[in-house]
Amino acid sequence: MDSAPWQADIEAARQHWLAATAGCAQLTALRSVQVECLGKNGAVTALVRRIAEVPPADKRAYGQATAALKAACEAAVAARHAELEAAEVQAELDDDTFDCTIPPQAALSGRPRPTGHLHPLCRVQHEVEAVFSSMGFAVLDYPEVESEFNNFEALNIPSWHPAREMQDTFWLDNGLLLRTHTSSGQVRALHTFKPPFRAVFAGKVFRYESTDASHEHTFHQLEGLLVDRVVSVGHLLDSMRTLLSAILRRQVEVRLRPGYFPFVEPGFELDIQCQLCGGAGCSACKHSGWLELLPCGLVHPQVLRAGGLDPAQWQGWAFGLGLSRLAMMRYAIGDVRLLLGGDLRFLSQF
Amino acid sequence: MWVSWRWLSRWVDTEGVDPVGFAQRFTCTVAEIDRLKRWGFELDAVVVGDVVGVAPHPNADKLRLATVDLGDRQTTVVCGAPDLRLGMRVPFVPVGVTLPSGIVVKDGEVRGVRSPGMLASEADLGLSDNHDGLLSLEGVVAPAGTPLPRAIELGDVLYEVDNKSITHRPDLWGQYGMAREVAAMLGRPLLPLDVTVPLGQGAPVQVEVAAPDACPRYVCARIAQAKVAPAPVDARLLLRRLGVRPINNLVDATNLVMLETGNPLHAFDARQVRGNRIVVRRAAAGETLTTLDGQARTLTPRDLVIADAEGAVALAGVMGGQNSEIQPDTHEMVLEAAAFDAATIRKTAMRLGMRTESSARFEKALDPELPLVAARRFLQTVLAWSPGAVVTSDLLDAGPCRENPPTRVLIRTTTAYLRTRLGVTADELPDAWIVACLQRLAFAVEHTDDGALTIGVPGFRATKDVRIAEDIVEELGRHYGYGRIASAAPLIAARPPFTSPSRVAERAVRAALVLQEGMTEQVLYGFDHEGHRARLALHEHDAPRLGVRNEIAKDLVRLRRNLAPNLLAAAEQVLTTGEGKEPPREGLTVQTFEWGRVFVPSPPRADANDRERAALDLGAPPLALDLDRVGERQGWFTLMDADMRDAVQGTLDADRPLPWQPLRLGVVCGERLGGGAEGSKRVVPERAASQRVFGQALSAVHAAVRALGKPPLQVVPHADVPAAGSMPIAAPDWTTSWRHPRRCVALVTTAGQVVGLVTLLHPDVRNRMQAPAELAVAELDIDAVLALADAVPMGHAPPRQVGSALDITGRIAASTRQADVVAAMTRAIAAAGLPLEQAGYLYEAAQADGSRSVTWRLLCRAADRALVADELARILQVAQATVATFAPVGSP
Ligand SMILES: [Zn+2]
Repeated sequence: MDSAPWQADIEAARQHWLAATAGCAQLTALRSVQVECLGKNGAVTALVRRIAEVPPADKRAYGQATAALKAACEAAVAARHAELEAAEVQAELDDDTFDCTIPPQAALSGRPRPTGHLHPLCRVQHEVEAVFSSMGFAVLDYPEVESEFNNFEALNIPSWHPAREMQDTFWLDNGLLLRTHTSSGQVRALHTFKPPFRAVFAGKVFRYESTDASHEHTFHQLEGLLVDRVVSVGHLLDSMRTLLSAILRRQVEVRLRPGYFPFVEPGFELDIQCQLCGGAGCSACKHSGWLELLPCGLVHPQVLRAGGLDPAQWQGWAFGLGLSRLAMMRYAIGDVRLLLGGDLRFLSQF
Repeated sequence: MWVSWRWLSRWVDTEGVDPVGFAQRFTCTVAEIDRLKRWGFELDAVVVGDVVGVAPHPNADKLRLATVDLGDRQTTVVCGAPDLRLGMRVPFVPVGVTLPSGIVVKDGEVRGVRSPGMLASEADLGLSDNHDGLLSLEGVVAPAGTPLPRAIELGDVLYEVDNKSITHRPDLWGQYGMAREVAAMLGRPLLPLDVTVPLGQGAPVQVEVAAPDACPRYVCARIAQAKVAPAPVDARLLLRRLGVRPINNLVDATNLVMLETGNPLHAFDARQVRGNRIVVRRAAAGETLTTLDGQARTLTPRDLVIADAEGAVALAGVMGGQNSEIQPDTHEMVLEAAAFDAATIRKTAMRLGMRTESSARFEKALDPELPLVAARRFLQTVLAWSPGAVVTSDLLDAGPCRENPPTRVLIRTTTAYLRTRLGVTADELPDAWIVACLQRLAFAVEHTDDGALTIGVPGFRATKDVRIAEDIVEELGRHYGYGRIASAAPLIAARPPFTSPSRVAERAVRAALVLQEGMTEQVLYGFDHEGHRARLALHEHDAPRLGVRNEIAKDLVRLRRNLAPNLLAAAEQVLTTGEGKEPPREGLTVQTFEWGRVFVPSPPRADANDRERAALDLGAPPLALDLDRVGERQGWFTLMDADMRDAVQGTLDADRPLPWQPLRLGVVCGERLGGGAEGSKRVVPERAASQRVFGQALSAVHAAVRALGKPPLQVVPHADVPAAGSMPIAAPDWTTSWRHPRRCVALVTTAGQVVGLVTLLHPDVRNRMQAPAELAVAELDIDAVLALADAVPMGHAPPRQVGSALDITGRIAASTRQADVVAAMTRAIAAAGLPLEQAGYLYEAAQADGSRSVTWRLLCRAADRALVADELARILQVAQATVATFAPVGSP
C-alpha cells in the first residue's frame, strides 16, 4: 500500500519538533517551542485539525497518527522541562557566589525594621507567671510527652477509673502519651521540691477531641500547686481570690461548687462573679451571675503519697487554669483554632 | 440526667421551697445543673373528655368527627388522630385557650365542619414532643369535665444535671439519691422507699453465677398472670419527661425503677428462658448474640453474658437479647436485678460502642445491696400496673455478696481535723452539726466528747466514692456552704521563688526577637502536618519521628522533630495570601520564630541520657532541692494503700524512659519575589534577596544567644563543617530536605559543639511554594545553649587614644568569602608589625562582570600613642596589597 502524502508530513513534523525540543537550553525557550508546537495555533495542533481535509478512508489512520504525534511532542516537552528544571536547580546548587560571612546587619542595611508581635498565648502565660512569681511561686516547665504514671496513676486515676474516659488521650507508638493536663507535673514537682513549696507550671496539653470554634486538640493550661503543713479550703479560697484578682486585674468574688477530679479531695469548680452584670445575671453568665473559671481542690492524699510525701505531715491545694480560655476572654478571640493556626494576619494584631 | 422535683417530693417535704430558686443552691451543694425546665403548667383550661361518638368527616378521609362528653355537656369536634376510638378518655381543649405549645384553639371550621375545641396530644399540651396520637387518659378516675391538673399529675420542675459532675456518685444516678441530698439540704426527713411486696414460694429459676468476680449479686423473681398494657398515664408522662420512651407496663416498670433507684433491671419473657436456668458467665470467644436493637454482636471472654440452658440471652448490664424480650403476649416473666463489676461493663460497652442508660449506671460501681431494693420496687410496680399479676417465687439472691458482703468502710477522724481542713472554727461548725449532717446523708456516726469520730459509710457511697477523711471534708463543706468559709492566707516562709531556666530564657529571647528584631512569635502544633510536608517535600530523610497510635486526622500522625516544617508552612501562607488587608506584593517580608519542644524518639548519643535528665529536671532548683528525695521511688510506694499499689504495679514494670524533648528556637525569614517569566512561581532569587533573608535569620539567632547571656556562637560555613556522622551532636537535624547544601552555616560553640544552623531553603523545596519567594531557616538547640557558661563582660577601661578609621575598597571574585579577605588583611597587617584593632565589612556593589566591589573599614589604634600619617599609609598599603590577591582572575 502506498503511503499517503500526509504520512510524510507527520514524520517530518515529528523529527522537527523533537529536535527543537531537545535543542532548548532554557526554560523560556522551551516554553516558546511548546507554544509554537502545541499551542492553540501551534503547528502540531494545526496538523491534528487538518483531519477534515483527509479522504474519509484515511480519517481513522490519520487521527491515530496525529494523536501519536501530539503525545510524543507532549512527552518530549515534559521530559525536557524536567531536565531543564533539574539543571536549573543544579546550577543554583553549584553557584558558589553566596557569601555567608557577610555580617547580618550589613546584609540588612537600608531595610526598615518590621514591627514584631508577641503571641497572645505567651502574653497571657507570662503575665500570669509573673503574678505567681511575684507571690513566691516557683515557675516550672515540664515535658509534653509523659508517662502513664505521671499523667494518670500518680494522680489517683488508675486504669479502671471512669475519669480516664473524660481524658481522651493521644497514645504514642512507644507506649507513652501526650499529657492531657498540666497536672502531670504535680508528681514531678512533689518529687523535686522540699516542702513547703508552691509552684506553677504551664504549657501545651493534648486531648483526642475533634475541633471546632471552642474545642482544640492542643491547648494551653497552667497548673498551680501549693504544699504546706496545714492547708484548708479557707486557704484555697483566699489564694484563689487574691491570685485571680491579680490576674484579672480587678477585685473578683469567687465561689466553690462540688466538682469531681480524682486528684483532689474535696474537689471544686471555681466560679467567678460575672463581670458584665456584677452578679445580677445576664446572657453572658446564663443568668446565674457566675462564670465557671477553673477546677481546683485540696490535693488528694494518694497524690501526695505518689510524690513521696506523707499526707499525715503535708497537705496541699492545686488548680488548673485554662490559658487558652483566658487569652480568648482577654482578647475577645471567638475561635480557639486561631491560637495555634499560625496565621500571621491574625498574630500581627498583638 | 434529668431530675424531677415532683418525684423527689414523694420522699421529702418540699413545701414552701421554690424549686427554681433552689437550683443555685443545688448546684453549689450537689451537682451542676445545666438546664432547668418547667413542665406541665398552664393547663387549667384543659378538661377530661370521654369520646362517646366517632363519625367520618364528610369532606376528608383522614379526619373524623369526635363527640366528646364533658360531664355537663357534649360537643363534637374534628379530630385527625389515627388512634381516636369510641370509649377513649382524652384531654379536651375548649375554644379560646392558648396552650403552652403555642397552639391557640379557635372556634373555626375544619374542611367545612365546625370544630369548637380540640382533642390534644402530648405535644399539643407541651408535655413532650410526642405527636403520635392523643394523650390517652385511660385509667384516670376523675369524672369527665374535670380540669386536667386535678385529674393527673401535672406541674413539675426538671433539673438537667451535668452527667460529668456525678460520675463519682453512683447514688445520684437515681431520683431517690437526689432526694436524699435535697432532704439533707432542707434538714427535713427522708421517707424510706416502700419495699413491702407479697412474695411467693420457691426459686424463680435455677441460677448459677459462674463469674462471681464480675457479678457480686444476682437477684431474681418470677411473676405470673401479668398482662401487657400501657402503663398509667402519670407514669408514662414521668418517663417521657425524664427522657425515656414508654413501651408497655412491664418494660416501663423496669425503666421507672431504674430511674428511681439507679439500679438497672431486666425482665425476660419466662417462656424464652430455656431449661428454666440462668447462668451468669463470661462469653465464649466468638460467641454471638443479637441484642434488642437488632445488631448481631460478636463477644469475647472479657464480656459478661446472661445465658439460659442453651445460650446467651442478654449482654449483662448493657442490653438484653432479642431472643428473650418482652412480647405483647408475655404473661409470665423472670426479673433480673443485679450488681455487676463496673470495669467489665464499661469495657464491653466501650468496645461495642453501646453506651446505654444501663451501662452508664453499672460502670459507676453500684451498691451491691441495691438490687434487693430495686427488685422489690419492681414487683410492687408490676402488681400495681397489671391487676391480677402475682409473684410466684421467693426473691432468689445469688452471687458471692450474700455470703461475703463487702467490708464496711469505716473512717476514723476527728471533728478538729475536719474543721482544720475546711478552715472553720468550732463555733462556726460545732460537733453536733457535723454529726447531724452526716447522719442526714445516711452515714453511721459514732462521736465521743473529745471529738473523735468513727464514720460508717453507707453502701451506696462506699463502692468508689467515700473512703478517706478528706471525702468527709467534702461532704461537710458542700452542705455547710463553701461560701461561708472565711479565707485565710497560707503560712509559707518568704523566700525568693525559683523560676525554671527555660522559662527565664524564653522571656529574654522573645523580648529580644519581638522588640529588637521585629519578629512575630508563633505557637504551632506539636504534630507535623503530613500534607504540608508532602507538598513541600519537607523531610528529615530516615530520621525517626514519634508516631501517634490514635491520630485525630490522617495528616497528624507524627510528632515534630524539627520546628522548621510547621514554621515554613505558616510563612508560605502569608507570602501567598498577603498580610492584613494588603494583597501580596513583591518585597513582602515575613520574620517569624517559635520557641517550643520537639520530640526525638531515641536519644541520638549515649550521653544524651544525661541531657534528657537535665532537660526534664529544668524545674530542679539547685538550692531548695532535697537531694535525698530526688528520684527515690521506694518512699512513696510504701505510703500507698494496697489497691493503689496493685493498680500501679503494672505501670511501673512498663516504666519507659521518656523520649528526648529538647527545647528549640526555630526561625523562618522570607521575602516575596517578583513573578518569573509568564507569571511562573519558579524564580531564581537574586543574590541580594538571598543575602537579606539569610542575614535576618542569622541576626535573630545572634540576638537570641546574646539575650540568653551566652558568648556569641561561631558561624562556620557549610564547607568547613565535618561530615554529618562526626557532628558533635545530631540535633537539630543537619541532614534535611530543606537545608541548602551550600548556602548554610553551622552555629558552633567555642568547645566545637554544633548547636544550630542557618540555611537558605533548598531550591527543590522553595520551588514548590505557592508563591515566588526566598526563605531562610534557622534552628537552635536551646538546651545546649543554656548549658554553656554565661558570657561575663570584662570591665576594661576605655582606650585613651583616639583611633583612626580607614575605608578600603577592592574587587574580589564572586565566590570569595569576604571573611577570608578580612582574615588575610588582619594577618598581613599584624605581620608587618602595624597596629590594627578591628577590620569589618561595610558594604559592596555588584560589578557588571559578576565580581564584587567590597568596602571594609579598618580601625587602627595603638594603646600607648597616637598613630602618625605614615603608619596609616603603610596599613592602607598592606591592606590593599592583600585585597589585590583576591582579585577576580583576569581582572586588570
Ligand atoms: Zn452576667
